[in-house]
Amino acid sequence: MLRIVREHARKHPGLIPQFFFICLGMGGATLYLIRLARGPHVTWNKTSNPEPWNQLNPTYQYKFVAINTDYKNLKKEGPDF
Amino acid sequence: MAEDIQAKLEKYRTAPFDARFPNQNQTRNCWQNYLDYHRCQKALEAKGVDVAPCDWYKRVYKSLCPLSWLEKWDGQREDGTFPGKI
Repeated sequence: MLRIVREHARKHPGLIPQFFFICLGMGGATLYLIRLARGPHVTWNKTSNPEPWNQLNPTYQYKFVAINTDYKNLKKEGPDF
Repeated sequence: MAEDIQAKLEKYRTAPFDARFPNQNQTRNCWQNYLDYHRCQKALEAKGVDVAPCDWYKRVYKSLCPLSWLEKWDGQREDGTFPGKI
């Protein structure tokens, strides 16, 4: 499989950038899909973990960049029961 | 503990930021607080403890949820067709 790819690259060297960008795009899309699937907003197992977002601590940061929110000082608001 | 809840309830202005629901779509936040209020009531009544602390969740869901949803869910709870697990 890799041998075929290498022969093709040698025969058509101008197509290497296209190959690179296709790999980059598909790879990036799959990696982001995986990030979304592992997020706390998805319920995979209704019987054992029906609400995974309740298992987070109150300082959990989902966003990449937090401009205004001071994540370190957040606390759980409601009473326990 | 109960005194802090009373103090918090006195100072309540609106639903605080919840890290579990950081995005614009707050539907789940509304749903979760509605469920939490009724679960809290059920649990504390079963234990025989005063249910006043549960009022925090009630204030939050009243701030967040549209009235039509609340009426619909209350009706469903009375009929026994409520889809959430309380």
